[in-house]
Amino acid sequence: MLSAILWTPLAFGLISLLAPRRFAPWVAGTGTLITLVLAAIVAIGFDSSQGLQYVVDVTWIPGLGINYSLGIDGISVFLVLLTALAWVPAVAFTASRGTDRAGLFYFMLLAGQTATLGAFLAQDLLLFVLFFDLMIVPFYFLFGIWGSDREGVTAGSATVKMIVFTLIGSLLMLVGAVAVGVIAADGGQLTFNMAELAEKGLPSGSQNWIFWFFAAAFLVKMPAFPLHGWMPDAYRAAPLPALAVFSAVLSKVGAYGFLKVVLPIMPDAVELFQTTMLIIALGSIIYGSVMAFTKIDLRLILGFSSVAQLGFITLGIFALDSTGANGALLQMINHGLVVVPAFLIVALIAERTGSEDIGPMGGLAKKAPVFAVIFLIVTMGTLAIPGSANFIGEFYILNGVFNTDVAIAIIASSGVALAAFYALRMYQRTMHNPLPEGSDSREISVRDGLMIVPIVLIMIVLAFCPQIILGDTRDSVDATVAVSKEAAQ
Amino acid sequence: MNAASWGWLVLLFPLLGSIFIGLTFRRIPPKAAGLVGIAAIAAAFICGIAAVISLQGEPAESRHVADSLWTYASVGGLSIDLGIYVDPLSAFMVLVVTGVSSLIHIYSYSYMKSDAGYHRFFSYLNFFVFSMLLLVLAGNFVLLVVGWAFVGFASYALISYWYRREAATRAGMKAFVINVVGDIGLVLAAILIFRELGVIDYGAVFEKAPEVFTTTNEWTAVAICLLLLVGAFAKSAQMPFHTWLADAMEGPTPVSSLIHAATMVTAGVYLVARAHPLFELAPAAADVAAIVGLVTLLVAGTIAIVVTDLKRIIAYSTMSQIGYMFVAVGIGAYSAGMFHLMTHAFFKALLFMAAGSVIAAMANIQNIDRMKGFYKAMPFTAAMLIIGALALSGFPGTSGWFSKDEIIDFAAFRGGWYEIFAIGGYIGAFMTAIYSFRIIFRILPGPPCEEAAHLIETGHVVHGEPVNPATGEKEDIEVGYPGEDHHIAEQAMGMKIGMSVLGFLALVGGLVQIPGVTEVITHFLEPTFEDSPLAAMHPTVAEAWKGLAKGAVISVVGIAFTWWLYIGRPSVPETLRRTFSPIYTLFINKWYGDEIIDFLIVKPVKGFGRFANNWFERYAIGGLTNGTIAIVRSASGAVRDLQTGMLRGYALLMAVGTVAILLYFLIRGL
Repeated sequence: MLSAILWTPLAFGLISLLAPRRFAPWVAGTGTLITLVLAAIVAIGFDSSQGLQYVVDVTWIPGLGINYSLGIDGISVFLVLLTALAWVPAVAFTASRGTDRAGLFYFMLLAGQTATLGAFLAQDLLLFVLFFDLMIVPFYFLFGIWGSDREGVTAGSATVKMIVFTLIGSLLMLVGAVAVGVIAADGGQLTFNMAELAEKGLPSGSQNWIFWFFAAAFLVKMPAFPLHGWMPDAYRAAPLPALAVFSAVLSKVGAYGFLKVVLPIMPDAVELFQTTMLIIALGSIIYGSVMAFTKIDLRLILGFSSVAQLGFITLGIFALDSTGANGALLQMINHGLVVVPAFLIVALIAERTGSEDIGPMGGLAKKAPVFAVIFLIVTMGTLAIPGSANFIGEFYILNGVFNTDVAIAIIASSGVALAAFYALRMYQRTMHNPLPEGSDSREISVRDGLMIVPIVLIMIVLAFCPQIILGDTRDSVDATVAVSKEAAQ
Repeated sequence: MNAASWGWLVLLFPLLGSIFIGLTFRRIPPKAAGLVGIAAIAAAFICGIAAVISLQGEPAESRHVADSLWTYASVGGLSIDLGIYVDPLSAFMVLVVTGVSSLIHIYSYSYMKSDAGYHRFFSYLNFFVFSMLLLVLAGNFVLLVVGWAFVGFASYALISYWYRREAATRAGMKAFVINVVGDIGLVLAAILIFRELGVIDYGAVFEKAPEVFTTTNEWTAVAICLLLLVGAFAKSAQMPFHTWLADAMEGPTPVSSLIHAATMVTAGVYLVARAHPLFELAPAAADVAAIVGLVTLLVAGTIAIVVTDLKRIIAYSTMSQIGYMFVAVGIGAYSAGMFHLMTHAFFKALLFMAAGSVIAAMANIQNIDRMKGFYKAMPFTAAMLIIGALALSGFPGTSGWFSKDEIIDFAAFRGGWYEIFAIGGYIGAFMTAIYSFRIIFRILPGPPCEEAAHLIETGHVVHGEPVNPATGEKEDIEVGYPGEDHHIAEQAMGMKIGMSVLGFLALVGGLVQIPGVTEVITHFLEPTFEDSPLAAMHPTVAEAWKGLAKGAVISVVGIAFTWWLYIGRPSVPETLRRTFSPIYTLFINKWYGDEIIDFLIVKPVKGFGRFANNWFERYAIGGLTNGTIAIVRSASGAVRDLQTGMLRGYALLMAVGTVAILLYFLIRGL
């Protein structure tokens, strides 16, 4: 079952590459829908009282102890569903607008989905690393080939920046992963199975340097302050539908890696570097929020807002507290759900105003009340208004950090006020104020609405009952956090 | 059905109303939308009455019901229910909120006529009432934050309702951000409450608090209360979080009436009364509430005396009156505070409505220096303005007289240093009389001004060009501009109904709480405050009447003095202004509140933003990024000799590197 979820996108991507051009979008769309249905079936069948489920375990490279091992647990179940969901509107949006070299575009996009799903499903550390590294490749091409040149940066140079940064991180992680296997084997049989590695444990001296090899990869991917240098150029170059899934899902793989790999396998190092990580997270929150309200490019506002949000998520994970980590996981889902519509809305705004800078914009709500309301709901999700599931995520994160370090919790809470400011500023400058000449205040079309509204409806349902997610994730997250807690004692 | 079921219905109707109007805005005519909106609030009011009846049917000690729909979120022992809590205090608030809101909805039905955004207005208005009811009915501190934030959001949406005006959107932003700061205070308070007490539901928290905080003023208890006060001050526009309220007057007048006078801004007072078991364990925090209330009531009073914008005078007066309520709940006069909250809702909503009527007749001009002779032009509105001003300044017999003096009496009764609240209260009362009757004496008598004359001659109000009164710019009439029919002033039925009912209540509403005679409110709220030793204390009936007599004298003298200032010797205000020019400058600039906050918070944050953007991001982050790339590039120089292009160079580098590292570890491992 998990193999089907994993390989369906790639298979359909290949078909759309080979199919006649006018069928390519249909093939790709069908592929993402099938993936979504499969992921939904798995999520519905998921039993929160059991640990790892739907396990597939096949020996792959016996000499190196590498297995093709997939499984799903409380931490990954909704991230897989989110991945399956996010790609649907991205493909639909591209299909509705058309693109040159369509077959190749969809192939890349769907290959990216397979790699991302692989990272969430892999239970073998090297398999995880492999997918984690492969994930970036299709996006390198998507941003480089279909991206647009901006003032001062070409799409090419922007993507080079991105790939160099991520590859350095990836290589470090690869070294770290191999080291974990070799050291844990201690001359015996090599294995990269994550659960076994966690059980065997590593000497704390090794943990301390391996920790940073993994952390580097994950922090770059998020991105976290101060490793976000690649982000602004890449975000400005990227085609928006690809950026939507990239920002919504790929950034979460980094946070997921901390929860799934770092916390269980390197508990001593986690305990040791907890404060450092909390401070990096705090830096991301404050710096990201402040940058977000100095920018006028909608993509960069959202990009830096992601830096801040991922800061909150990291904060929750490294609070090493049940509420903090659960809040962080909930927030990963919430943030993904907010970002996909947000970037598609940016595309719609750009179609109406011919610009992505909020400077000269305004008044788009005038003839487009429905569009404005959709954007308003997304904005309120972004700033985590109490009553949204995002708020519950932040609330639990802050609660977790409060139990760990009061001062950090209080400083982090100022990020909430800053978020209110930059998110509302983004909404007001586009939708409110007088409508300038040359802007077309046009209502959202039914077709575009069908891509965005379902996700907004999911946000609303979750707002009424975030426990839908928390109930399923709780046991797995608590088990992970408990490992680090034991190490601390 | 028990009170909790009625409580759910109270919440349901406004929410459904808001959603229904929002979804059908293209299908149903504006009139229908307005009627649906009114009906939803009226239904909530009826359910509120039913809840009260059901509560009163219980014995006094069990007059509180908690009920929950489902588990909202639960991890790590922190379980949050989607639950409500109905007791006399929340039921009282429900009645005040839904009652006044119904009247304001009826008023708006006429006032907003032919506004291009009619549906949007009523959908927001219903959503606001829903949020406010959620705030008062919430059964735990997390749900309280939800209601709290929804109210802030609804307020934002309504302030920037005429979003074609940048002043309106700026004011909305200011209100929202300051309210979010308040939300953060409440969030941290909730977290601290959970950490100390392990529970989050009202009933459990108040039960456990005395067991955990065994000595008074334990620092955690004080911290919890101070954090609650951050939320309360932000929402209730108390210093130093007050600057958003005056700007919020950019919203349509019914909004000012509903949100910025009668309901939302009183939420902070409700919160302190609700959390009184905590505040009584941390009297230091309660004193902070009272002192801030006193300072706000005096400062706002001085500003109200000098500003010339009609709506802003009333707004500062609101700040000042809420200051009284904070004094009340801070010193333990809970039922007096709630009583003043109720009467204030009556007369302040009325004043705003009457002001809206005048402003409509003035073609949106709000400067009282321009207004004259409205006594002749609009006798009904003039009568309402006079009733409102009498009640506000505590004229004997009116509702404000009973409620304000009950607070001052209690302060005098507690004695000791609490006397300063009584003295400050009397000074505030004198200022109240001045600024309320300054409005009356400036705009009602005298020869009619141009607009008033036009109204008298033609029976219609002036139909000016749609311009922004603040900037004189032409307005985009498609964005919710009140169309020509809007200029109906007091002639519209809905506005008359709204004003007359409130006028009646403002006059006689105080009779429910005559010392020694009725005291309905004290008795009704008794079960909520039965655990409080402070609430059990009472001035005697004789003392209370003595206080009322003093209040009556101050009010009458104040009104007479104002008459002398503005009618008897009209040259005096100008002389005073010149003689005390520095003080006048301080007052008219609102004690530089905006400037201080700008200097302390806004400027530093913006400066940090500029530093981050122009310097840090460019040099530090940019340097780090480009430096890394330069290193990688030179390292890949050898590979690039193949001249296969940059991309392949990197890919090759990656492949070679990967294989090399894998091999190294394999050899070491074997």
